[in-house]
Amino acid sequence: MSDWVRIADASEIADDEPFASEWNGEAIALYRHEGEIFAIGDICTHEHVRLSDGWFEGDRIECPLHQSCFEIRTGKVIEGGPASEDVASYQVKVEDGAVFVKRGI
Amino acid sequence: MSDTTLRNATDRVWPEDGVTRVPAWIYSDPEIYAKELKVFHYGKTWNFVGLDCEVPEPNSFKRSWVGERPVIITRDAEGEIHVVENRCAHRGSLLCWKNRGQAKDITCPYHHWTYNLSGDLMGLPFLRGVQGKGGMPRDFDKSKNGLTKLRVAVRGGSIWATYSDEVAPLEEYLGPEILMRLDRLVSRRPLRLLGYSRQIVESNWKLYWENSRDPYHATLMHPFLSTFGILRTDGDYHSVPLQEGRHEYTYSQYDPELKNKTSEASKQIKSIHSDLEVKDKEVVSSVVDEFKDGMMGAFQVFPTILVQQYFNCLVVRHVIPKGVGAHELSWTYFGYADDDETINRLRLKQSNLVGPAGFVSLEDSEVLSLMQPVVESCPDSVQVLEMGGHGTEAQSTMMTETLIRAFYDFYRREMGL
Ligand code: FES
Ligand SMILES: [Fe+2]
Repeated sequence: MSDWVRIADASEIADDEPFASEWNGEAIALYRHEGEIFAIGDICTHEHVRLSDGWFEGDRIECPLHQSCFEIRTGKVIEGGPASEDVASYQVKVEDGAVFVKRGI
Repeated sequence: MSDTTLRNATDRVWPEDGVTRVPAWIYSDPEIYAKELKVFHYGKTWNFVGLDCEVPEPNSFKRSWVGERPVIITRDAEGEIHVVENRCAHRGSLLCWKNRGQAKDITCPYHHWTYNLSGDLMGLPFLRGVQGKGGMPRDFDKSKNGLTKLRVAVRGGSIWATYSDEVAPLEEYLGPEILMRLDRLVSRRPLRLLGYSRQIVESNWKLYWENSRDPYHATLMHPFLSTFGILRTDGDYHSVPLQEGRHEYTYSQYDPELKNKTSEASKQIKSIHSDLEVKDKEVVSSVVDEFKDGMMGAFQVFPTILVQQYFNCLVVRHVIPKGVGAHELSWTYFGYADDDETINRLRLKQSNLVGPAGFVSLEDSEVLSLMQPVVESCPDSVQVLEMGGHGTEAQSTMMTETLIRAFYDFYRREMGL
């Protein structure tokens, strides 16, 4: 994914609920936090489960299985849970109500 | 009431004549057995659990036992060794089902609670429920719901665990004589795991415990030994109880000339056939005197292991109780990381001497499993232990039961019998 990809409508992304999406087999979750939209990889790096089914609080998502936490701005894993690797991070832009993502920060 | 099976363990009375008599009810009474586990394995003792070469690198694990309880030996990412109960803190499921391997964490197969290798609970599925429903209460504290951790001690390549906060440090518990013998085998060079054999013996664990303190039977019941001159009653042999019977060691100086000598004692043993010969002498001789002391022997560390050196075969016998009428014998064969091919091959070849089908050990489990129903059927009968007199002192002969008497002297004190 080296180009911008249209992935959702901005209106679909609620304030406190993760939005699970996918592009070309890649699971991506979108989060709205303090008015801004963020996108990170949606499969936990510990076991294969969607992070967007987990607990979204502040600027982090907590895995529903074993509570590994990831920063929604960067995909970085937060120490303390069983996962030790980060998930992918994406750049986000919103144009005419459409959300576009692109690999990288 | 004359039926002993209806009595309480606490009412049991040891027969007169002290340690020269052992009552058969100690091998079948479930209350005695339960008390043994509590006082010994779960009490103020150090239990052998494994060798460090079984968890060779960071993020590895090996299953073991303390008494009847399954435990896991782990080596965490930093290389530190832990021993934790193999029992999920949630609902008690057996956590780790694999004997040995590599893992960064351990997940329970039942509800997928996940623990790190030091036993802390890392996470559990649906802690927050699903869509706001269910889940654990807000005040559920993961840090209070980890695995039960045992106190651990590592000496050379050997790993030990205890439930007790009070037991003396391992070195003190073992004492200088055992430490010296243990270090000779496991502390000088890094270990290499050669393999395992395991067997269930259908007898009370103490029948095996006595058996390995009983040099008297060795030349009689194991004809291989006397036939091929590995161990002869006329050889130099020492039986030494330690710490008032808690541990013991035996040793003999290997004498390559022994086979050619005939003495009064060896003439008395029917099983010596001088016309029989082992074709492959490597099985029964120290081709390499690797410790440069010509010594062969074994030592017992209460309540879990017998460590034995037969020429170049090095093996730990781990005695794991499995109910009042059974125990498991787990044999771990080892050598050293820097062993060359020659000695490695010798160790493997000589490991045929011991184990479930070993040339000099296969008879033990057979006799003991046929003995168990007999002692169970006659709980008021007694064993006679008068070989070598009535005492519990060290003796320089094989024709003695001093080590068994010393054990029961210790046993009675610990058990209050
Ligand atoms: S019993 Fe282990 S997770 Fe439930
Ligand atoms: Fe034996």
